[in-house]
Amino acid sequence: MKKLFNPTIQPWMTLFARLILGGVLLAAGWIKAMKPSEAAASVRVYEVLPVNIANTFGYILPWVEIGIALLLIVGIWSRWTSVAAGSLMLLFVIAIAQAWVRKLPINCGCFGNGGITADGKVHSWTYATEIIRDIGLILLSIFITYFPGGKFALDTVNQNHENGGKDDGSD
Amino acid sequence: MAAINKGASGKGDKTTRNLVVGMILLVVVAGAGAALASNHAVKSASKPSAVEASDGDGIGFNPNAPVKVDFYEDFQCPHCRDFEAVNNGYITKVITDGKIHAVFHPMSFIGNESVVMAAASACASDQGKFLQMRAALFANQAANENSGIWSNAKLIVLGHSLGIASTKYDECINNGQYLNWTKNVEDYAGKANINSTPTVLINGKPIAQNTYLNATAFQAAFAAAGVK
Repeated sequence: MKKLFNPTIQPWMTLFARLILGGVLLAAGWIKAMKPSEAAASVRVYEVLPVNIANTFGYILPWVEIGIALLLIVGIWSRWTSVAAGSLMLLFVIAIAQAWVRKLPINCGCFGNGGITADGKVHSWTYATEIIRDIGLILLSIFITYFPGGKFALDTVNQNHENGGKDDGSD
Repeated sequence: MAAINKGASGKGDKTTRNLVVGMILLVVVAGAGAALASNHAVKSASKPSAVEASDGDGIGFNPNAPVKVDFYEDFQCPHCRDFEAVNNGYITKVITDGKIHAVFHPMSFIGNESVVMAAASACASDQGKFLQMRAALFANQAANENSGIWSNAKLIVLGHSLGIASTKYDECINNGQYLNWTKNVEDYAGKANINSTPTVLINGKPIAQNTYLNATAFQAAFAAAGVK
């Protein structure tokens, strides 16, 4: 991977990826954290988890997202936080895809989240755009996993790597 | 930041990093803890007199009528307002004629403003004006969520405009008597797997999505359940 990107540009690219991925995750987490019962409902609609587990998950998940997002933005453990963020996005893709296949209404009436809208019809494009967006974010997380740290990262270990402008050789 | 970056292996970096990690961890734990702690039913909550404990503390009418209809709505939800605009005349009629056992679950997932509106509807229920208050709250729905227009004073004025004269209503609003009760309703709706509003259940079964804004189809669903 060493020669793939210009060593002076790559840290900036990692910073950019961290800010986008972290920013999206922070905004998504914050919106949900402010409306906990809506967050719980948006986990329930996928009909993957039993209702009471879905509710607990819905209350906790936004705060986990906020935590991962903040760590990404300040650049601490960015290799692992990007793996975590990417895994979350992958989870969302799987959840949306199975809802799409099962034609579950993941957007009914007043609960937003894509899929089927108030008229009860399947809007494939809504599912598709959500999946495309999440895949874009997964690609960013993969980039950070390969090139962790980046500009203005707080993490000591990765700073060595960044200051050297080289790959740390562990991948 | 740049200064910190230069001292790559210095002790100061680790301290800063650990401090930041600690703060972020604190935010996550405190936030998740508060979310878990505040989102469940309050057993000691004061409840309006029309409440049916077996139906998740919903506000009930005609408990002996044969056809049971549950209404899950949020007073801030625009779809609920539209649903109300289309069907409220019919709903009010079948309730006042005693034809359905209606249970209203005023939800509050949209936020604080929903909580105060739901609590006010409960205060109005104690004065025998729940249906009127429900209609009035939807009719006066704000354009934006949680805009804060529903002050206690305004809720009291709205109640009075519906013919409520008792000072108990004013006290109920001013004391926030039923604020905790809204948590019971929300908790029950969550456990009942209500994932969208409005949701109407006739004898426990949700009506088809495309009937909500279609008065003819809506009334046909009631007729099919034996409401004549």
